Amino acid sequence: MIEFLAIPGVLLIAGAALLTLFPERVRPALFLVFPVIAIAIIFTRPDGYSVAGALLQYDLVLMQTDTLSNLFGFIFAGGALVAGIYAYHMRELGQQVCALAYAGGALGVIYAGDLLTLIIYWEIMAVASTWLIWAKRTPETNGAGMRYLIYHVLGGGLLFAGILWHSVATGSIAVESIPAEYTPANVLMLLGVAVNAAIIPLHTWLSDAYPKATMTGTIFMSIFTTKTAVYVLIRMFAGWELLIFFGAAMALYGIYYAIICKDMREILSYHIISQVGYMVCAIGVGTDLALNGAAAHAYNNILYKSLMFMAVTAVMYSAGTSKMFHLGGLYKKMPWVLTLYVIGGLSISGIPLFAGFVSKGMVIDAAGYGGHETIMLVLLVASVGTWLSVGLKLPYFTWFNKSDYEGELKPVPVNMYIAMGILAFACIFYGIFPSALYAWLPHAMDYEPYTVYHVVEITQIALLTFVVFWWMKKKLAPELTTVLDLDWFYRKVAPATRLIFVQNVNSFFARVEDGIQYSARYFARKFQNPMRWLNPFSDEKNEASSYSPSMEVVMSFILLGFLVFAVVYFT
Amino acid sequence: MKTIHWIILGIIFVITLVLEFTVLAGYDSHWWNAIPAFYAIFGFVMCLALIFSAKLIAKKILNRDINYYD
Repeated sequence: MIEFLAIPGVLLIAGAALLTLFPERVRPALFLVFPVIAIAIIFTRPDGYSVAGALLQYDLVLMQTDTLSNLFGFIFAGGALVAGIYAYHMRELGQQVCALAYAGGALGVIYAGDLLTLIIYWEIMAVASTWLIWAKRTPETNGAGMRYLIYHVLGGGLLFAGILWHSVATGSIAVESIPAEYTPANVLMLLGVAVNAAIIPLHTWLSDAYPKATMTGTIFMSIFTTKTAVYVLIRMFAGWELLIFFGAAMALYGIYYAIICKDMREILSYHIISQVGYMVCAIGVGTDLALNGAAAHAYNNILYKSLMFMAVTAVMYSAGTSKMFHLGGLYKKMPWVLTLYVIGGLSISGIPLFAGFVSKGMVIDAAGYGGHETIMLVLLVASVGTWLSVGLKLPYFTWFNKSDYEGELKPVPVNMYIAMGILAFACIFYGIFPSALYAWLPHAMDYEPYTVYHVVEITQIALLTFVVFWWMKKKLAPELTTVLDLDWFYRKVAPATRLIFVQNVNSFFARVEDGIQYSARYFARKFQNPMRWLNPFSDEKNEASSYSPSMEVVMSFILLGFLVFAVVYFT
Repeated sequence: MKTIHWIILGIIFVITLVLEFTVLAGYDSHWWNAIPAFYAIFGFVMCLALIFSAKLIAKKILNRDINYYD
């Protein structure tokens, strides 16, 4: 029992249930206890530790550890802890429970040793995260949450179908590397994971829902869903060449939207797609360096992407909007949030001495030395775009551009600063001591990030990008717009779909129902007194009460006979 | 941006150029290593290209009124 409860995923989900029993005052602190215990468990379990279970005829592996799962397990538990600190001021039970269960689902996927265990946690994640969107309780988020849920139910369904097919075909439900063959089972599983990894064109749930979720909800979402999918891709689909091209396309696609969008949370959401693109691309390359790069980049990305989300959420909390059109000139009033954001921005852009530099370089190099030089250049273009969009444009138009911000500002809670401070420290720490991260990576490798070549490369790109930004910044000025994406197809077509599949079906059933009721009424009226039409010689007032008693006796016998027959025959 | 900031950026840029032509003179692992100051040119050109193409795509196809979906 203890062994079962000490599975990080189970622990956090049980913790989520336990939270409901405690008063509001205690809950935020209690929330933090579970990730801390999970971290302790992760550090005390040796490599190769496993917990077995059984379901029907299947032998399940409820928990299995190795270097890769511990890397992701640690950053997920750590991410839940830091996000919990960030959300310490938030007292809504529903959101706390869902966030913890969501983190538990993600940790469960990481440690799942078989595909059936994995799919259960996968679905828990989908449902729990949907509540973080719905918790905002606006008509807009009701719709977005529903679209998100439908997308994930579809993705989970594809994955589950693939798993069943796979288990029948191969007899194995282990989470293991799959040879790159496009069998129906493999394609179904890949599609299911691709939904969660936001691989274009299956990415629209992310850019639709993340900017609309609750403030703290988005922080949790930016940590778990896509990175869990990256983990599963590393485990199962390493070296699938198709992923190289989709990854590179994602990197560029996300960048374009990050440049075009004018809402801080939208920009960062699209930028997740770009960053996951790097990881997906590296997984497609599939060499030891590339897989290490993908894992390291996922790890670092959780650090700086959540730091950036936290910083813009702090602005949103304080100013009440995430639209840059209404912001600008905040540098005097929120200098610390700016500083923390910039640390994240420098990290994500791969500037030397910050975390992104030590992992992004691995991914780009792995592509370049793996014989994909064009892909390497595409990823470098995406780096230019990263620095341009989230490194320069977003902070410039939020904190500068105007001489001062005139609106009202709510003070930012201290716990938010603490959470951001922890992440900012980690970004700088791993930037200066990359070996602290490299020691945790799954494959042995000989990689040195701080070579003269790398530093010259990144510095030149960053400097000239900055010059162009400064020169052209008017072109990127914020405005109030909606930016279309592929979700247009289902959001704008939704009324037509509803007409065909809901309203037409409804009106058909309504007509059938009317018809049945009409005929029932008609026959009821007619059979109230059948003598009226059975006996043409009777007059109109052939009242039932005027029948002879003998007729009633005969009728009663017939009915009784029928009843007796029914009872005898059917019992 | 004050003049002093631009001077600092200029000095850093010159340092990278010096490094490129001294320490990295014999470096050759990609075809573009033969082009002098390739990464500077790359950053400049790609940034311009990104801004203008993104602007064009946004204007022609993607941008709609803020209440488009309401």
